[in-house]
Amino acid sequence: MNKKWVYRFMAPAAAALILAGCNFSGSGDEASGDSEGGSAEGDGNSAQVITLSEQSDIPTMDSTKAHDSIAFNVLNNINEGLYRQNESNDVEPAMAEKHDKNEDETVHTFTLREQNWSNGEPVTAQDFEYAWKRVMREAGPYNYMLVTAGIKNAEAIMNEEKDADELGVKAIDEKTLEVTLEAPNPLFETLLAFATFLPQNQAFVEEQGDQYALEAENVLSNGPFKFTGWQQEQGWTLEKNEDYWDAENVKLDKAEFVVVKDPQSGANLYETEKVDRVKLTSSLVDQYKDNDGFTNEKASGIVFLRFNHNHEVLSNVNIRRAVNMAIDRDGLADVILKDGSTPLYGVVPEGFYTSPEGTDYRELNGDINKGTAEEAKKFWEKGLEETGIDSLTVSLNIADTDEMKKVGEYLQAQLEDNLPGFKLELKAVPFAQRLEIEKAIEYDLSLSTWGPDYADPMTYLDMWVDGSSANRMDYSNPKLDELVAEARTDTDLSNRYKTLLEIEKVLLEEDAAVAPLYQRGNTYLTRQSIENLVIHPAGADLSLKWASVK
Amino acid sequence: MKRYLIQRFAYALITLFIIVTATFLLMQLLPGTPYSNAEKLTESQRAILDAKYGLDKPVAIQYITYIGNLVQGDLGYSFQYQGRTVMSMIGDRIGPSALIGLQGLVFGTIIGLVLGIISALRHNTAVDYVSVTIAVLGMSIPSFVFAALLQYYIGVKLGWLPVALWENYQSTILPSLALSVTVIATVARFIRSEMLEVLGQDYVTTARAKGLNESGVIWKHVIRNALIPVVTMLGPLAVSIMTGTLVIEKIFGVPGLGEQFTLSILVLDYSVIMGITLLYSALFIFVVFFVDVLYGLLDPRIDLKGGSKA
Amino acid sequence: MTTIQPNDGDFKNLRSQDRPAEPSVDLFVPKPLDATVREELAAPAPTFWKEARERLFKNKGAVVSLVLLIILGAMSLIGPSMNEFTYREQHIPHSNLPPKVAGLEWLGFDGKDVNGVDQYAQRGVETNYWFGTDEFGRDLWTRVWKGTQISLFIALVAAFLDLVIGVIYGGISAYYGGRIDNVMQRIIEILTGIPNLIVIILFILILEPGIRSIILAMIITGWVGMARVVRGQMLQLKGQEFVLASRTLGASDSRLMRKHLLPNVMGPIIVTVMFTIPTAIFFEAFLSFIGLGLQAPLASLGVLIEDGYDAIRSFPYKLLIPAVVISLVMICFNLLADGLRDALDPKMRK
Repeated sequence: MNKKWVYRFMAPAAAALILAGCNFSGSGDEASGDSEGGSAEGDGNSAQVITLSEQSDIPTMDSTKAHDSIAFNVLNNINEGLYRQNESNDVEPAMAEKHDKNEDETVHTFTLREQNWSNGEPVTAQDFEYAWKRVMREAGPYNYMLVTAGIKNAEAIMNEEKDADELGVKAIDEKTLEVTLEAPNPLFETLLAFATFLPQNQAFVEEQGDQYALEAENVLSNGPFKFTGWQQEQGWTLEKNEDYWDAENVKLDKAEFVVVKDPQSGANLYETEKVDRVKLTSSLVDQYKDNDGFTNEKASGIVFLRFNHNHEVLSNVNIRRAVNMAIDRDGLADVILKDGSTPLYGVVPEGFYTSPEGTDYRELNGDINKGTAEEAKKFWEKGLEETGIDSLTVSLNIADTDEMKKVGEYLQAQLEDNLPGFKLELKAVPFAQRLEIEKAIEYDLSLSTWGPDYADPMTYLDMWVDGSSANRMDYSNPKLDELVAEARTDTDLSNRYKTLLEIEKVLLEEDAAVAPLYQRGNTYLTRQSIENLVIHPAGADLSLKWASVK
Repeated sequence: MKRYLIQRFAYALITLFIIVTATFLLMQLLPGTPYSNAEKLTESQRAILDAKYGLDKPVAIQYITYIGNLVQGDLGYSFQYQGRTVMSMIGDRIGPSALIGLQGLVFGTIIGLVLGIISALRHNTAVDYVSVTIAVLGMSIPSFVFAALLQYYIGVKLGWLPVALWENYQSTILPSLALSVTVIATVARFIRSEMLEVLGQDYVTTARAKGLNESGVIWKHVIRNALIPVVTMLGPLAVSIMTGTLVIEKIFGVPGLGEQFTLSILVLDYSVIMGITLLYSALFIFVVFFVDVLYGLLDPRIDLKGGSKA
Repeated sequence: MTTIQPNDGDFKNLRSQDRPAEPSVDLFVPKPLDATVREELAAPAPTFWKEARERLFKNKGAVVSLVLLIILGAMSLIGPSMNEFTYREQHIPHSNLPPKVAGLEWLGFDGKDVNGVDQYAQRGVETNYWFGTDEFGRDLWTRVWKGTQISLFIALVAAFLDLVIGVIYGGISAYYGGRIDNVMQRIIEILTGIPNLIVIILFILILEPGIRSIILAMIITGWVGMARVVRGQMLQLKGQEFVLASRTLGASDSRLMRKHLLPNVMGPIIVTVMFTIPTAIFFEAFLSFIGLGLQAPLASLGVLIEDGYDAIRSFPYKLLIPAVVISLVMICFNLLADGLRDALDPKMRK
């Protein structure tokens, strides 16, 4: 009798417990209803609500620790730093109402505008000082951005020679922030739009302790939107911040984000109007390329081949140039990848970085090392002669992601077909291991990727300097090192840009030091009723501030 | 009985300890760093992070620290999701896994029993052949192949059930179904052969001979006796469910443990890989232990005094 | 029998005849053993294999499976060279062509994609790709059979190594008994406590990806089942008269094992091996599916299924064909193993 009672009681209770623990994104969520209403047509003043999708959850909402595009996207929309990227990817003052510099441009004084945190506290200069020092203290993943920005003592702090408190940033009073640089830096304002430079409210952060930024209610916002809901692995919600200083220009009331890991189901959700924007993978492109909402967006990440410059054969420039020319990038981009990627013949991608006169970097430098299979063969034979061999077997170090494996297989066929005697072995390893191998320079060829840290060609160019932690192939050319050093402090912008163009020419035209393959691209299905969704090349790639529903 | 229980329990603990140690050592052998921004990490930065996470200490010290924390129920922090403890991640993820796992298990067992029993009672008829075919198919077709086909035909082509968003109860149906296939097949096959064997036993003949009506014989003698050994299936079934969740959650986008496990493997999030490995192992060991004890209780023929020679 | 293991993680080993025939719940006691009957049973030993073969051939499912397996095995060897393509040769202009076989259009091999467009006509392709092509324009017919070959190879080698280790370990454990057996059994007990798939995954992570690593990872825990079967069988045989007789005649340990014990446990060993093979195929495919597999451009069935799954909507044939092949292989092995078990099961010998 007793036992039966236990069964009767326990079974439903257990079931209820499990059901309660499984976090359906739709269960009891009043939000899911009106997001569909948002895409209803023809009612004149449609609701300003959109639903977007991301492919994974936000790793961390702590701006000092954020390191990936998803976190950057959210932070960019809920917070406001001294500067912000505008619709044309230029930076404009945001929290900074006024920005003064001293004569040699090493001391910058910012006057902050009136703006409150979402808990009602005012945003102060101390908040910036606190956050930046916190980045250094906690060795945040992007602490080198403060070094790149040239903030005084940042490098010494990173090398543990100085204490984080000695960072060259000081709150003069509530609304005045003084930043001291090691040397004038033409990139300073551009960098300030990056998430690592966002402010944090010290009292709030300390009050939350190790719970800070783990839940929606444990983060503060001071930007165009407020972070109002976050269900791990399911999605999150941004709502318009009525207290934002520029709130009148923010049209969107609400943006829902859902996590959709599988692109196939993403497409399905788009078709059933549950989501207004999804990223497509190449296998879906064939199916949706004629869809009205299909868009192809250039991205700023590049994929390229590193050569081990210590390798006795690969150190030969003709061999490297032969490899460069033997690869048909069009086939790679249009047939294999099909995901919006475009062929690239340079290390600075196309479409984002214009000269002070307004011409694109790629247009100015043109396609470097672009050639036919015949030309490739000529260089190849010349190289073989110089190195005294008649065949070459090398291995290619690749990460074992779907994209990289595909590219690897393509390269294998291309190089083996076009260069007689060339044999390529693929060595696919987990991503982290690919990096280890690369950093230890224990490879022959390595399939690498690079994404920009800030919106300037320099982010693709200074990595080739001798001894740079991103060089990873023992490439060294004193001429390039000199040019980079020159560009770093040159405040004459058009002269600087010329130097930047020159650096790439040394790297590729002279040395064929790497083989650029393609510039990443993204293909999306985006509801056509959405306007002014701004996509940036670097840092956060999505701004909702100006977006609206037609 | 008591001595047997204690002995079994001791083995379970030793096994778990060995798994912890082995996993820990394997993790030391993994190449690469678990830090999520590895692409741009400089050497000095890495040294700082290593110091912060205690990865700069000798392996022996790290091991002792880990065991010490483990005893207190602390599995450390995730590298990928900064600031989150492995415990809280497991807590978030275990619900969906448990739900589809249990649903798959219960549904599969019921259908499997029904199929198996009917099949045995109608031995060598068309019904029997059909259910044997189902069982063979279910045993043979890999669960992820079946899941992919289910998703394609029921989710995409027919559009009857959601494809892959963890939205409401409907979202649990396809993954549970995909998980239950192996269970159905295993249970059906097992119960069928058990039933056939019991049906041939003398006591069944006797029961019939003494005039019990057929359904009485079936219910009282055959099914009851055939069901007892089914308990032993719980172990392998639990394993197949756990294995299944690893891929099936990935396919259907279930935010569960298996999905997290495969994800963490790809980014080498040590602490999470270890945490989930331990959880799976502990669960598995517990099920085996539980089944042993339960079986001993259910079947009086089994001698649990331990070590006795038969 | 020493201790009874009601559950050993593998129900196949726990068949009801292993349980002692003590009084049942209903107080029925089995008939006492009749020595003469036993002699009768032991008598037809020389014809055991012949009988088993006859029984196996009576089992339609097993015969059909055997034939199918031979065909699939043969295809995996000759299939890759049945046309002019190789498994790694790329032909970019012919990427993603649906399957087309002249004469089999009604079966769906008509070269039409999901939208019903005949890709061959549209792109002016003359060659017929029987199973279609992948995104590199590689011939899937060649790749599927090459993949079958690799999957089978991995499974067979893994099963064979499991067999060797299992027989040696189980044999030693059962033959010497006593303390050695005790220690060895405790080790096995601990190993069975470890969820093998997790171990396999962890090992694959630290080894260089490739066929060798996959096989290695699979045998780390895979031999345990075999060792248990061998030990159990050997223990049963050890007490029997012919062993005693041979020992009395002064046969050495190794001779005893080779000549008397091993041949008599062959039946259960074969059955166990037959069940190991599909498990190994499954594990290999599973690992490939979660992305821990072979080095490209090599492909196994698991790799092909994973590739196909990504394109399930636009190019369903990429998933369906390898899925059907792997399912066929698994079904055949399971049915054949079933048939063998019934054929070799001494209980059936009446």
